[in-house]
Amino acid sequence: MTQQVVAGEVIRFDGVTKAYQTGAPPALTEVNMAVTGGEAVAVMGPSGSGKSTLLNLLTGLDRPSAGTVTVAGRRIDALSEGALARFRARHVGIIFQFFNLLDDLTVRDNVLLPAQLAGASRRRARERAEELLERMGIQQYRDTYPARLSGGQRQRVAIARALVNSPELLVADEPTGALDTATGQQITAVLRELSDRGQTLVLVTHDPAMAQRLATRTVQIVDGRMVGAGAAVPAPARATGRAGGDA
Amino acid sequence: MSWLAAIRTATGGIRRHTVQAVVLGTVLLISTASALLGLTLLAASNAPFQHAFEARHGADLTVTVNTTHATANQLAATRTLPGVTGAAGPFTEATVQVSFDGHSLGPRVLAGRASPGGPVDDVVLSEGHWPDGPGQLVLDAGPGGGPDYPGLGDTVTVSGTEATSTLVVTGFAISITKTADGWVTPAEATRLPVAGTVASAQLLYRFATAATDDQVHADATEIARALPAGAVVGTSSWLAREQAAAGNAALVQPFVVGFALLGLAMSVLVTGNMVAGAVVAQYHRIGILKSVGLSPAQVAVVYLSRIGWPSLAGSLAGVLAGNLLAVPVLHDSSGIYGIGRQQVPWWVSLAALAGMLVLTVLAAAGPALGAGRLSAVQAIAAGRAPTVGRGYAAHRLAARLRLPRPVGIGLAAPFARPARTLVTLASITVGATAVIFAVGLNLALSRVEQSQTLSATAPVRVQKTDPRAVPSAAQNAAVTAALDAQPGTLRDVAVYGGPQTVTVPGMSKAVTAHVFGGNASWLGYALINGRWYGSPGEVDANTAFLADSGLVVGDTTTVDLVGTGTAPTTVRIVGEVFDPSNNPSMFTGSQTLPGLTTPANLEGYDIALRPGTDTTAYLRSVNQALGGHGPWLAGPPQANRFFETATALVDLLALMVAVAAGLGVLNTVLMTTRDKVHDLGIFKALGMRPGQLLTMVVCQVAGPAIVAAAIAAPAAVALTTATVQAMGDAARTAVPTSFSHVLSPATLALLSLAPLAIAAAGALLPASWAAHVRPATALRAE
Ligand SMILES: Nc1ncnc2c1ncn2[C@@H]1O[C@H](COP(=O)(O)OP(=O)(O)O)[C@@H](O)[C@H]1O
Ligand SMILES: [Mg+2]
Repeated sequence: MTQQVVAGEVIRFDGVTKAYQTGAPPALTEVNMAVTGGEAVAVMGPSGSGKSTLLNLLTGLDRPSAGTVTVAGRRIDALSEGALARFRARHVGIIFQFFNLLDDLTVRDNVLLPAQLAGASRRRARERAEELLERMGIQQYRDTYPARLSGGQRQRVAIARALVNSPELLVADEPTGALDTATGQQITAVLRELSDRGQTLVLVTHDPAMAQRLATRTVQIVDGRMVGAGAAVPAPARATGRAGGDA
Repeated sequence: MSWLAAIRTATGGIRRHTVQAVVLGTVLLISTASALLGLTLLAASNAPFQHAFEARHGADLTVTVNTTHATANQLAATRTLPGVTGAAGPFTEATVQVSFDGHSLGPRVLAGRASPGGPVDDVVLSEGHWPDGPGQLVLDAGPGGGPDYPGLGDTVTVSGTEATSTLVVTGFAISITKTADGWVTPAEATRLPVAGTVASAQLLYRFATAATDDQVHADATEIARALPAGAVVGTSSWLAREQAAAGNAALVQPFVVGFALLGLAMSVLVTGNMVAGAVVAQYHRIGILKSVGLSPAQVAVVYLSRIGWPSLAGSLAGVLAGNLLAVPVLHDSSGIYGIGRQQVPWWVSLAALAGMLVLTVLAAAGPALGAGRLSAVQAIAAGRAPTVGRGYAAHRLAARLRLPRPVGIGLAAPFARPARTLVTLASITVGATAVIFAVGLNLALSRVEQSQTLSATAPVRVQKTDPRAVPSAAQNAAVTAALDAQPGTLRDVAVYGGPQTVTVPGMSKAVTAHVFGGNASWLGYALINGRWYGSPGEVDANTAFLADSGLVVGDTTTVDLVGTGTAPTTVRIVGEVFDPSNNPSMFTGSQTLPGLTTPANLEGYDIALRPGTDTTAYLRSVNQALGGHGPWLAGPPQANRFFETATALVDLLALMVAVAAGLGVLNTVLMTTRDKVHDLGIFKALGMRPGQLLTMVVCQVAGPAIVAAAIAAPAAVALTTATVQAMGDAARTAVPTSFSHVLSPATLALLSLAPLAIAAAGALLPASWAAHVRPATALRAE
């Protein structure tokens, strides 16, 4: 399959299908999608429609059954497991609904881990981790263990960890799904701030309010199919939307 | 939803947990089988001779009579003498020279019996069939055969003074009191080419009292008195037979019991570990079940069915496997104990099954009750997260050390869950100890064997075909000439002992003297104390000698060669030799006791071969030179299957224990790592490469494995020493330290790698699965 990499394009899905079981309807069918640098794309759709599957494919956590996935200029569907791991360490940060922090490691060690796995220099990694902990407002917990933190604090740790290697792409799968409304709004604000600084962001949510505040563009998935690529919302409009609460 | 329906629904997931069920079932299978084997061996080692003697109605006394001096009625009348509780015979008996494949097996007693069974001395047929026609022979299957012994279907030649005939071996059998070396039909017995003209028969008796030598002697006197003078030509007591059997058995029994206890301990520990671990692994699920409204009782039943079915299936399969494995084991052990046949007692199968199931319930009960008390939320959390605050220091330390991150995380991981780590540690330790102990026992037994047979140092021995024969000086010279002519002969030494009675003042028993015609230090007798004799006047003695005389190494005493007219010789004891027996023995050179080195006392020659010499070819050409028909015959040392069988048994047990231990460790580590699959998914999502992941997982078990090896090595050494000590105690002898110090540091170091390898293999299996599985799948894993 030939594909033209458009300048500034961070993600490109070409005819991507993912079937978990042969015979059963695929979780994703013939998805075509492109995300440009600096965009904040919200993926929305009912439960079980294939949103997490989409994220798994674009982070290389899983492979498509058909079609190609190009991220940061690489055909990741064709990479070996080792190369995929290296790709994830350098180019993608992932935030999960249930945080997925490592309970045995301190907050700082959790944040440091991807840098260490990627082979970053010790000093640089530490400086970067400190900076992120401060930015997330959790520097006082650096020597604490995740089990002692609240949900919101844990998600901040997870965001810091996702950002430690300064990835081109930040991906979040229902990052507020396990949090109460107020805490969820704080996390939304943190992500919004990142997006405003130019961080490319793909976000799964079924909270329309969150999509509205955060997304420059919304895509809908129903039964594994993309319905309406969703018009891009210009950044100012998004800002207005956030202020107005309803676009 | 009914009570049961809820349970059925809740247990529905069992198929989704097949791996766990299979692992649990396998552990129960192995544990039950090894428990069953352990109990069987304990039962088999408990007074085996006495039990077999009772079961086979062994003969208290075997009486050989000259049938020309007593009538059939007179013989029959002895059956009803007071004190006689059972009798069998008369069976026609003949002493014949048996030879096979051109060499003599020596004089053998054959008896004519129509059937193996009977009220006294119920002979057990271990192979083949009982003679039912002319020309058929069943041979004794007890130890004493040797590699050149005929097999089933072989033809042997029996010769008397006048004639020679041939018999075909149709079977092997064991008489617990060894009333004969072989059996033929009664008709055949009367036709045998008897050596000499005496027509003899054997009568077998059981008595009301026959527990001591004195009682058996009184019984024998009563029989002799009831018969005409000269009718009784010989008697043999069951006590002599018991002592011979006990002597051999005493050497091996501690080894067998050691393995039996090891098997039992291992099965208990491994099962306990496994079941408790499996329950803890289910905490998360328990929480969910509670949260959907199952009562604690329902949760308990769900559990039991989860743990219970695989356990029950595994245990039942284990009973079956144990019974199958017991067949070769008991075949060997009955050979060692010199008894016909041993079986798995029925209660052992029951006890192993019930014991394992009770153990499983007990092991499950602790954590299950704990889970019952937890609230749903606590249980869910307990299944997921380690207890807060544990292992943090280790991780902090590992983070500070400049180790590659996967190595550091791996090494620190065990500290996060100390309870689980202890379980893993215990499992690896027991497994490793078992493996090292098994190797230690094996080495120890081979040293005992070597000291008893001298098979490594003197692989060839020239012995008399008839121990009572006195070869001529020319015949003796022919042996020396034949040995000298053989290029394969490295060294040889004449051994004297013979019928000469040797006494030492103050000792209750006569001493068996082994006097060597030349340097014999190369024979390598094992020394408990002191050194091998050197200059004239020096002797070595066995433990029984020292115990009987009250002397110690360094003492001086006198030795009297009774009836030779020579003055008693003063000797100094310079060493204690390992020669386990109740009979005192001493070892010295011909210069110390020249009076003993007469042709009549010459027992044979021990021969060492040059490296690379083929023993079989050597034996053939020496025997060719000697004529092949006696009085001298070259053969392997001590035609004795005893140690062969014992080593085979210990090898078999060692292998079983090692395999069971390895599987136990594998299972534990496998389960532990499987629990961490979700975490492995996180690591992968954060960019951990497959290689880094494997490194991390191996490091997770490396710590416990190293600690386990450090505990197992000294533990196994201590166990080996204790077992060898027990062997010495049972055989009433001290033991050379070389027997218990069989594990050199290098061997130990090498063996300690075993737990590391097993643990790494156990971890690598799930880790390589996790390394190659898609992270998305690993993250979905519960
Ligand atoms: N690893 C998997 N194996 C099998 N089926 C899966 C797997 N992951 C997701 N699915 C199925 O694919 C469909 C889409 O799932 P998912 O992408 O998780 O949906 P969403 O995130 O939109 O709720 C669902 O029917 C789900 O059951
Ligand atoms: Mg989802």
